[in-house]
Amino acid sequence: RPFFRIVAAHSKRARDGKYLEQLGCLDPLPNVHGERVAGLNLERLRYWLGCGAQLSRPAEKLLGLAGFLPLHPMTVTGAERLRQRRQREQQVGTAPVD
Amino acid sequence: GKAAEPRPAFTDEAVQALLYKMTGIDLHKVFRPVKKELKPPQYKLMTEAQLQEATRKAIEEAKEKLIMPPVLDEREPIDDVLAEDKFLEGTETTKYVFTDLTYSTPHRERFIVVREPNGVLRKATWEERDRMIQIFFPKEGRKVIPPALFKDEHLGNVFQQDRHEDVLNMCIAQFEPDSPDYIRVHHRTYDDIDKHAKYDLLRSTRHFGGMVWYLVNRKRTDGLLIDMINRDLLDDATSLITLYHMLHPECQSAKEAKEGELKGVDLIKVFVKTESQREGYIQLALQAYEEAMATSTAS
Repeated sequence: RPFFRIVAAHSKRARDGKYLEQLGCLDPLPNVHGERVAGLNLERLRYWLGCGAQLSRPAEKLLGLAGFLPLHPMTVTGAERLRQRRQREQQVGTAPVD
Repeated sequence: GKAAEPRPAFTDEAVQALLYKMTGIDLHKVFRPVKKELKPPQYKLMTEAQLQEATRKAIEEAKEKLIMPPVLDEREPIDDVLAEDKFLEGTETTKYVFTDLTYSTPHRERFIVVREPNGVLRKATWEERDRMIQIFFPKEGRKVIPPALFKDEHLGNVFQQDRHEDVLNMCIAQFEPDSPDYIRVHHRTYDDIDKHAKYDLLRSTRHFGGMVWYLVNRKRTDGLLIDMINRDLLDDATSLITLYHMLHPECQSAKEAKEGELKGVDLIKVFVKTESQREGYIQLALQAYEEAMATSTAS
């Protein structure tokens, strides 16, 4: 069962290797109430960003969804692309019937 | 005309003093042994002075145990949208709940937001807040999902076993004082106690004040009054009526009492004549009490 930790670490370290500090977590599978639970330690996040830490792309997207940062442009483009793909599939599905 | 005085609140000193006096301190009940490991009882040899000292300390500890839990109004539901991003609709199927895990913010001010699948970023409802806070900052005695015991159909079972005090203690551990569930469970317990006249179950506990406050606010004090007279607790009966007058100063007996400066049994008699529904029962109880007093002073 996957479980992600939002972590401050050196960029050269392995994904699951030693980190400097844990700043939060995310459980990607929905729980009994249909929610994906995520916790973010905003105060320590601000400290590390102040020290000059860079965010990874999934972290930026998550914080954009949370509202801490403005929405990541790739989230918007991803949504657009998904919508266009679905539209194309729908057209392909309905066109042979016509 | 005369401006009405601000209504006395549960936390006023005078109100708290009256409620505390009515709660009574039965040391045997307050310090009833909680189920722990079996240990053989320890005996101590003390002089009279040491015994008095020990009793005094026990009364102080009992005072701490009898501090009443707060009585608050129901909280308003949270309904605040922070952002609407309609173009995110359709990317996900389930919502995200983000909790701020800063250790130093009080739980009331914590940011807990929900990103719905339709792209709306809103503040979490009170139930979601309580659940998330319990997940990340667990408190002893609280479960993430409230136990099924607090549902109405199961409360009946608990009341039949006379375990009102236990259910109220569990309720205090599980819910916040201003949540609708806390208030509902408490009101149901008080109603059941009033219906079956089981006031003595709560007498030396910290829930007694809350129960008296609830009954006096709804003017259903008759059963409690009869119980007190039957147990020869005349002082408690007078403090109950004083509290009633403090909360409902516009009623008939309050005005008569203020004019006549009545005390003791007279106060009860005036109250019974004007305010109570079960006048007959209370008169009977008073008569029995007076006969008992007469025989005990005569003998």
